[in-house]
Amino acid sequence: MMKSPVYGLLLLLALILPPAANLLESIMITHMHMQMPLLVISGLFMAKFFQNRFPGFFSKWNENGVPGLLLFSIIMVYWSLPRTMDEALTLTSVEVFKFISLPFLAGVPLRDSWPKLSSFWKHALIIFFTILFLALGWLYIWSPVQLCNNYLVIEQITLGWGFISTAFAMVVYLIYSYFMDFSKYE
Amino acid sequence: MFPKNRTILSSLLVLMFGAVLFYIGTDGFQAFTAESARVNQLMDEKPQFPDVTLEDNNGRTYSFSEFEGKYVFITFLYTSCGTVCPELEVNMSEVYKQIPEDYIGHDIQFLSISFDPERDDPKTLDTYRKAFGSDGETWRMARIPDKQELKSLLDRFGVIVIPDEYGNFAHNSAFYLVNPKGQLIEVMDYTLTEEAADRVTEILLSGREE
Repeated sequence: MMKSPVYGLLLLLALILPPAANLLESIMITHMHMQMPLLVISGLFMAKFFQNRFPGFFSKWNENGVPGLLLFSIIMVYWSLPRTMDEALTLTSVEVFKFISLPFLAGVPLRDSWPKLSSFWKHALIIFFTILFLALGWLYIWSPVQLCNNYLVIEQITLGWGFISTAFAMVVYLIYSYFMDFSKYE
Repeated sequence: MFPKNRTILSSLLVLMFGAVLFYIGTDGFQAFTAESARVNQLMDEKPQFPDVTLEDNNGRTYSFSEFEGKYVFITFLYTSCGTVCPELEVNMSEVYKQIPEDYIGHDIQFLSISFDPERDDPKTLDTYRKAFGSDGETWRMARIPDKQELKSLLDRFGVIVIPDEYGNFAHNSAFYLVNPKGQLIEVMDYTLTEEAADRVTEILLSGREE
């Protein structure tokens, strides 16, 4: 029961190790679509520790899960800006903020919020990220300029297609959940 | 006491945090890419052109103070570049043609600086300049042979150059204008030649009036 926060912490520490961080950051798409989600996942694992430690805080301030959902969305959108990704590579303070904000301000609140959310909010979140990812994919693929100074244009286009594929997967899920009645299996 | 209101309150706090975060992260909703942040910062700082030694298309060497008392219109390039640089230089020649002729050479100097000094020797630069209608005098192409000096200039002007695996470089491009005292005063979009020419002419005109 208390093991998953330990695994989460180990994952976070492994991601912070300079060789691992440098490897993932050397390619644009692994920076955004591997390192950043893994940081969020480490937060998902660690959430139990905080929930057990401060049960009152989460049940009072995140009772219906919406504040946590908003916090998660804000942090994710922030890290989708071309500038923040660039500056994580050139400014140490931004890099440190990345390793703190993604696990603790995105992963932890998402874990706490998800079971509390009604299916309306869950679908709203997936629809929001589908639209966001389509827009970002469009931006990175068809932008006439190089958006990030630290990456080549070809990497920018690869990242754009990564966004489009992820959005496509989410659309498939939404269609599937529209036609399926999950309650039959629960 | 009002559990419903409490989540509204915490949602509001989260939204405020988000607004502050985005405000700080984008310099007050001004700069969403590192490039626009760089340009804004350069225009604020007005960095001084370091005193580097240039070697131009005629093989002449001189320091940047050679151009003291003139505005200098600068681009950064390397001649083996097949993508942005030719476009950048074509656009530079557009600006060159649009500036009233009597300013050229007296009030303003055009200068293309190569950041690939190993391949871009004076002979290569001389061949390259002809392709873009540069006369080699009022518009010169030069390299900075000293690596340390080149790096100090690129750092100060925020030019980021990344070599890729095919012997090419990825780099950010812009038009730079340095004033007669050697300070960088304008960083302009290299795709908008008319705007750049208008802006430069305006600055030259006000420079003459002073």
